[in-house]
Amino acid sequence: MFLTRSEYDRGVNTFSPEGRLFQVEYAIEAIKLGSTAIGIQTNEGVVLAVEKRVTSPLIEPASIEKIFEVDDHIACAMSGLIADSRTLIDRARVEAQNHWFTYNEKMSVESVTQAVSNLALQFGDDDADPGAMSRPFGVALLFAGIDKKGPQLFHMDPSGTFIQYDAKAIGSGSEGAQQALQDVYHKSMTLKEACKSALTILKQVMEEKLNSTNVEMGTVTPQRKFHMFTKEELEDVIKDI
Amino acid sequence: MFIFRTVLAIAGEDFSVIASDTRLSQGFSIHSRDMPKTYKLTGSTVLGACGFHGDVLTLTKVLQARLKIYEHDHNEKMSTPAIAAMLSTMLYYRRFFPYYVYNIVAGIDDQGKGCVFSFDPVGSYERESYRAGGSASAMLQPLLDNQIGFKNQENVTKTSLSQEKAVNLVKDCVHLGSGEGHLYW
Repeated sequence: MFLTRSEYDRGVNTFSPEGRLFQVEYAIEAIKLGSTAIGIQTNEGVVLAVEKRVTSPLIEPASIEKIFEVDDHIACAMSGLIADSRTLIDRARVEAQNHWFTYNEKMSVESVTQAVSNLALQFGDDDADPGAMSRPFGVALLFAGIDKKGPQLFHMDPSGTFIQYDAKAIGSGSEGAQQALQDVYHKSMTLKEACKSALTILKQVMEEKLNSTNVEMGTVTPQRKFHMFTKEELEDVIKDI
Repeated sequence: MFIFRTVLAIAGEDFSVIASDTRLSQGFSIHSRDMPKTYKLTGSTVLGACGFHGDVLTLTKVLQARLKIYEHDHNEKMSTPAIAAMLSTMLYYRRFFPYYVYNIVAGIDDQGKGCVFSFDPVGSYERESYRAGGSASAMLQPLLDNQIGFKNQENVTKTSLSQEKAVNLVKDCVHLGSGEGHLYW
């Protein structure tokens, strides 16, 4: 398998004769090494839940952050290379504030995702504009937010492709989690149910035992905007699963 | 400099009216009697721009382009308040060589209410219920203050403005401001 790739898997902007961009495909593979993240959209709001890999008892778990606030009304969960995600989240935040500055209105979730996907594609070997990356970003993102169209969930991968989902899982446990999501998801799900399902599914796919320090969960609702669950709130949900 | 003169707009509960005279002049000479200075920006927004004609042309052209870009980027028409906010930034970016243009934006807001925004040439703006702009504004604004704002009237019941009254008032104002009713103006 790798023999056929040897010639064309170096340059990030060279197609292989079969019409593939290997570095982009490898970047998508890199996501599958990342921790699992789940997003579920309901009529009441969107929930994001992620696993935190606390690989040593000496790690301070609170310093691992995988759900970010982009703006009041948009949150983002990541899986893959954390450092790469910072660049993308930074861009999302700047775009959201720019939009507010110019138009005095909240930027839509789709537009924020579009803006970030533009950055995700700006990689190249040489003479790229300053600040651009030489390789694709090794991250997948889940954008969750509320706008004029209501609660929305978008998934973006390293190729810059973004698709709207009712429910989506990314990261190492994504295959199992996505199947589980398909089984439990229904259109009339409440946000509370979604939070519980998200953690239940995370529990199934996580290697360590799930507890309130090795998961992160956040919701975006019309009432509370972006809200990160506190340790106590997490424990409240966990005791029911 | 070729100068445009009168623009005025009134916002009602579920409508807004905007009008201008059609004269383009320079001092005492009239260059055109058929040059409206209201510009339809979207289905729910109209811009009235008076001041230096050259800057008006450029500003409206840039605005049209920005509206199209927004529509392509976000898959929807810009709302009137968003256009007003954007116009403010466009004007302020020319803070030290401003567009010599006095703008009034009229339309319908996100809640379906009539709205009017007035601007100075460097982007300071405010949402108001009525505003007259241009060189005839000194004459027209007090009239609007009295007729819509019920200023300087005693024992008056403040009724909400009907569309018919607003349109008639705007017609009177444009007639006054256009020069038909007054020497020089």
